[in-house]
Amino acid sequence: MNEDKIVNALMELSEMTAVSGGEEAAVTAVARYLRPYVTDIKRDRFGNLLAFKPAENATGKTELTIALVAHADEIGAMVTKIEPEGFLRFTPIGGLDPRTLPGQAVTVHGKNKFPGVIGAAPPHLLTEKERGETTPMEKLFVDIGLDQDQAVDEVKVGDLISLEQHPVVLKNGKMMTGKSLDNRAGISVLIACAAGLSRICHSVDVVFVASLQEEVGLRGAVTAAYGLNPDLAVAIDATHGDAPELEEGRFFKLGEGPVIAIGPNLHPALVDRLEKTADKHFLSVQREPIPGHSGTDAWAFQVAREGIPTALLSIPLRYMHTSVEMINLDDLFNCVKLLGYFIGGLNRTFLEDMKKC
Amino acid sequence: MFNTVEELIKSLTETFGPSGEEETVRTMIANLVRDRADRVFEDALGNLYAVKESNRPRIMISAHMDEIGVMVTNIDENGFLRIAPLGGVNPIMLLGQRIRFKNGLTGTVYHEKFKELKELDWSKLYADIGQRDAAAAENNVKIGDSACLAQPFNNLPGGRCLAKAMDDRVGCAVLIETLRRLPERLPQEVCFVFSIQEELGLRGAKTAAYSYEPDFGIAVDVTLVGDTPKAPTMAVSLGQGPAIKVKDSSILCHPRVRQLMVETAENNNISHQLEVLERGGTDAGAIHLSREGVPSGAISIPCRYVHSPSEMIDLKDVLNAVELMVKLLTKEWPFSEESNVF
Repeated sequence: MNEDKIVNALMELSEMTAVSGGEEAAVTAVARYLRPYVTDIKRDRFGNLLAFKPAENATGKTELTIALVAHADEIGAMVTKIEPEGFLRFTPIGGLDPRTLPGQAVTVHGKNKFPGVIGAAPPHLLTEKERGETTPMEKLFVDIGLDQDQAVDEVKVGDLISLEQHPVVLKNGKMMTGKSLDNRAGISVLIACAAGLSRICHSVDVVFVASLQEEVGLRGAVTAAYGLNPDLAVAIDATHGDAPELEEGRFFKLGEGPVIAIGPNLHPALVDRLEKTADKHFLSVQREPIPGHSGTDAWAFQVAREGIPTALLSIPLRYMHTSVEMINLDDLFNCVKLLGYFIGGLNRTFLEDMKKC
Repeated sequence: MFNTVEELIKSLTETFGPSGEEETVRTMIANLVRDRADRVFEDALGNLYAVKESNRPRIMISAHMDEIGVMVTNIDENGFLRIAPLGGVNPIMLLGQRIRFKNGLTGTVYHEKFKELKELDWSKLYADIGQRDAAAAENNVKIGDSACLAQPFNNLPGGRCLAKAMDDRVGCAVLIETLRRLPERLPQEVCFVFSIQEELGLRGAKTAAYSYEPDFGIAVDVTLVGDTPKAPTMAVSLGQGPAIKVKDSSILCHPRVRQLMVETAENNNISHQLEVLERGGTDAGAIHLSREGVPSGAISIPCRYVHSPSEMIDLKDVLNAVELMVKLLTKEWPFSEESNVF
């Protein structure tokens, strides 16, 4: 899978809808991309997508199983009420930010897909004070242009609402902007990694996991980790990219490589091996200290069953949880390379050394 | 034992059972369900199970027995008690209220002097059980004892009722009445769980689901409404039927389980509503993340003034919920042991 193909996959996946709880179409697309590179593909009872790639080496034996997990879902909203004029009230699904919503194009997933917008009061009609303020979520509404009778026929309380945005590669050819790059970037890493591993020897079984409902509390990861019970796990997700006006030390430069997380959620031996692998192959990486909850699937995987040594690789991403998230594609490609070299070098001894006392 | 569902709710809500001290209410429920199920037993933590045995799939239906309350943290020299919340209790709700301990002892909650209401927190509250000094107080309560609210059940003209602990004794009542109405033999196995410590974070349901290993989960609990003056936006009203949950903070209900509930209600002309609850969770949140995942949903009784001493429900919603449960459990659920996907 060359870089152009990876970018095309990411473009397609970015535009798909997978609000937590409504991930079906996107997961089907992810399965389609993974299928050529794996021997078995299935869904668990929760709906997580599991794709299995057994070890391929001279001995024909597997040394251990590693899970690579990226969440397939995205933030969005849900209809809570249809107002008498046909306007839709909504509640956030995941960390939707009310500052970014007025003026946003959306799709309402009712009986059919309805294009709509999140409107805002015209500035002319606001007081001086109101103009400087963020409108709280409960005062916002979606307008799909239907009156109440039509709206009640077509839309129900509980229907999902997704953000709309076409992905774009910017003029430098390296930066992409679009919706849901958190975490379709991670999903693309899984796909590219599956393709890459098909061309090299590796002595470990790899399970690619596209997890559901991460944005509402790592829920898919909880059941996937229990069901798979792998020896090791690596979560691939997004972390904050650099931008003006952010607090120093809380973000990472786009284009300077994937980010290796360090902290109690991450097993030191895995972190060490990832850093040494990057060093050996001259891949630039960044380090993110996380003192507690990583806010990613890694948090759920680590404490499943008897405990699973877990690492976290992140793609720096600007404007997280907006419809104009931005990444540098080189970070994505380098993340794939790092994972490929890392998995190519894994064996049983690594696991046993971890448990030595 | 009870002639009407209303009597059953009265009896359940007036019984003592704050989170962690569910014994009294558990014994009461065990006596009510013992003859209606194939197996009735408790687990080590105190969850109560009533199983109607049959083939797979196994459906776990959970309603929590516990209620919000307070725990004694200190007894001072004048016999006043300091208290801490058990579950989500707003201190404002307790001002001037009666509380009752397991041994029947009654007291009231009052406050130290404060200027503005926002200063009111737990450190300003105390309970008075009418004892002259520490020794007298300690003869009646100990540090660590829990109390529940003490309001009686009232029925109101038109079929609505007020009580403490509607959350979730009304859910327990739905389960007990459903069990009473179910036929001898069901097409699948159903386990009714009366769970503990829901108010502290769905803790009983978590271990019950691990232990029973259900194929599907359903919680029966109360939900908030949007039909009171200036209420936050919510399309659920009292008396419009049981609410089939779509989402709360603990779960996005499995679309197929939800669909099964909606179809059952529609096919049997049972009035119902759809529920999107912005804050709060229920036992289904714990059940659906058990082991490898359990497709789960929830049926909610619309309830005003949840976590207050006077929670209000409409009996019509309760009867419709029972009707819906009976219809839901007597029909055959689509299931295959081989297929992981429901």
